[in-house]
Amino acid sequence: MAARLLVRRTWAVSVKGFRRLPAAAAAAASSSSRSSSLNTSAHTRSFLSPSRSLPLSSHRCISFNVQDHDDFTERVINSDLPVLVDFHAQWCGPCKILGPRLEKAIGKQKGRVAMAKVDIDEHTDLAIEYGVSAVPTVIAMRDGNIIDQFVGIKDEDQLDSFVNKLIGQ
Amino acid sequence: MPPVETEHGQIKARIRELVDTNRVVIFSKSYCPFCKKVKALFEELNVTCEVLELDLIENGSSYQDVLTEMTGQKTVPNVFVNKTHVGGCDKTMQAYKDGHLQQLLGAESTAYDYDLIVIGGGSGGLACSKEAAALGKRVMVLDYVVPTPLGTTWGLGGTCVNVGCIPKKLMHQTALLHTALEDARKFGWEFSEAVSHNWETMKTAVNNYIGSLNWGYRVSLRDKSVEYTNAYAEFVEPHKIKATNKRGKETFYTAAKFVLATGERPRYLGIPGDKEYCITSDDLFYLSYCPGKTLVIGASYVALECGGFLAGLGLDVTIMVRSILLRGFDQDMANRAGDHMETHGVKFLRQFVPIKVEQLEAGTPGRLKVTAKSTETDELFEGEYNTVLIAVGRDACTGSIGLDKAGVKVNSKNGKVPVNDEEQTNVPHIYAIGDILEGKWELTPVAIQAGKLLARRLFAGSSVKCDYVNVPTTVFTPLEYGSCGLSEEKAIEYHGEENLEIFHSLFWPLEFTIPGRDNNRCYAKIICNKLDSDRVIGFHYLGPNAGEVTQGFGAAMKCGVTKEQLDNTIGIHPTCAEIFTTMEVTKRSGGDIKQSGC
Repeated sequence: MAARLLVRRTWAVSVKGFRRLPAAAAAAASSSSRSSSLNTSAHTRSFLSPSRSLPLSSHRCISFNVQDHDDFTERVINSDLPVLVDFHAQWCGPCKILGPRLEKAIGKQKGRVAMAKVDIDEHTDLAIEYGVSAVPTVIAMRDGNIIDQFVGIKDEDQLDSFVNKLIGQ
Repeated sequence: MPPVETEHGQIKARIRELVDTNRVVIFSKSYCPFCKKVKALFEELNVTCEVLELDLIENGSSYQDVLTEMTGQKTVPNVFVNKTHVGGCDKTMQAYKDGHLQQLLGAESTAYDYDLIVIGGGSGGLACSKEAAALGKRVMVLDYVVPTPLGTTWGLGGTCVNVGCIPKKLMHQTALLHTALEDARKFGWEFSEAVSHNWETMKTAVNNYIGSLNWGYRVSLRDKSVEYTNAYAEFVEPHKIKATNKRGKETFYTAAKFVLATGERPRYLGIPGDKEYCITSDDLFYLSYCPGKTLVIGASYVALECGGFLAGLGLDVTIMVRSILLRGFDQDMANRAGDHMETHGVKFLRQFVPIKVEQLEAGTPGRLKVTAKSTETDELFEGEYNTVLIAVGRDACTGSIGLDKAGVKVNSKNGKVPVNDEEQTNVPHIYAIGDILEGKWELTPVAIQAGKLLARRLFAGSSVKCDYVNVPTTVFTPLEYGSCGLSEEKAIEYHGEENLEIFHSLFWPLEFTIPGRDNNRCYAKIICNKLDSDRVIGFHYLGPNAGEVTQGFGAAMKCGVTKEQLDNTIGIHPTCAEIFTTMEVTKRSGGDIKQSGC
């Protein structure tokens, strides 16, 4: 547990450093390499994700870990893009399978949809507020409204159609 | 016909109006000491009252006459709560003591934030809070895990889920599998590779399962509409607590009633190096590395269970014992469980107490030097270990939750909370359940039962009390020990040796025969009361699956099973539990109890 906490703390610190960057710099195209490398480290920790090799969109940081309630409001509720919210937990085996599949499905959309990852142990209030009972729970949001959701594992095709539905294709 | 407007009628209507429109009405006399006492009570309860001082109003004596007619009570104070006539001073005080007054007040209570605040989110606290909420009450539960000296912490659910029963049994199972692997070859399984164990894999799997349980508890609180706060609670007033969260933010909450369910935490030794270098069971289950050569200090069931499964993983384990094994348990059984551990490689260092622990080398694990002294001679002992696990008992978490501010009495020696048979402390609106109770079982299912029944008594008019007699339990030593009812020592103390008949037998589980291990180690014993139809008052079983075996006999004992009824029960063959249907040799007879043949 202590080690787990330490890992979390290190991650939080590095993210804080990232978030302290001036907004303009963060928005600049060059920042995508920064943020993607950050994301990659997060993925390898959270999901053992193969997404490292995925070409991330140059548009925006499309996949991110939610930091707190305000961050959720800013990047999910107030997002211009539709957002998939992946409620997951470190102790959840199926989450580790679903996470990389979601990343892949999002990657195919080339920046038309974002993905927010919420660790339910770190952000319990958010998970409780959104009625999460079991993980993984994935909620599709557009303009702050819940459009669709599912609980558990889905295969790649199912995920593609879930995402397509969200962006209205 | 219009009602006749008499003074009598007007006063009666006025009294009705007062009673109907006020939560509490006291008909009082300003000089009366009993009235003052009642008024002070409501003031303390933070309840506003409508007080009519009959000696200060014009027609006070007429009021008193009408009240006599309406209630049959001539004297003041005359107290009404939520339209119900309570009575005078004595009756009001009595109603307060037995909780009836609080129930009346609670019926339309808006004075407090909650009907019930439960301090402690362990098995007992969660069960009580969920039951109370299911009965429609506004309930808050507060839980906060103070990190161990080494920084280990965990989630919602209390000791059992996080640092007790659950991880303990899973690690015990890990050790049993080791034995099973060894047995397997004798049954014809062939595997060439040397068997090794990966601590980290086990620890992660156990921790992940616990994580899912923590989440499950959190969700069930939401689903049952119990408000949950992850904060440390302490009383600041009898009906008010301060909740401090991990960021240090303080919030205050009030409630009509409180349940203390704070549980216990491992005791330290108070010797140099204990908190710096030693671990307790609170750390062991989250240890990121294999503990290596381990010294377990203590002979509590926690000590024997932890020492047992660590040895079962193949580690070098020594248990340092001050005096006896498993204090409070049947000593015959305790020693048999200990002997079995000793024959399976656990070393016992008896009649020694540690005096200091020094670090020789940091690391995961590091190296520690332990110095101990004999309890009988001047002999000193020095030993080197990778890990030192302290398991010398647990202390109730009652010292820093402001119980003095609430006026709750605790036993100054052990911090335990004395309660009556309804789990009520000396302060009538504050109750306590679980491990912090004085003289009660420290067992999760007992706390759950007590918590549920308490909520039903408080909020559903139930009168069912928790029965603390004939509670079955199991110690998960490598050879498990299950018991229900009295130990032999207690049975002799309560009933006298001459009034007991003790039946016993060794047995050899069928599963052990082919591997050829532990013959005549497993042991069964029942203690019967000769003065009461040979009723079984003590049940003891040392063998595999003790929990599964003991549970059913616990039910039988709840039904008052006698020796004759056990004899009339048909056994299931071939099992271990069937031994209890064929017990013939009494301990008194000194007859041979070794088993041979089918």
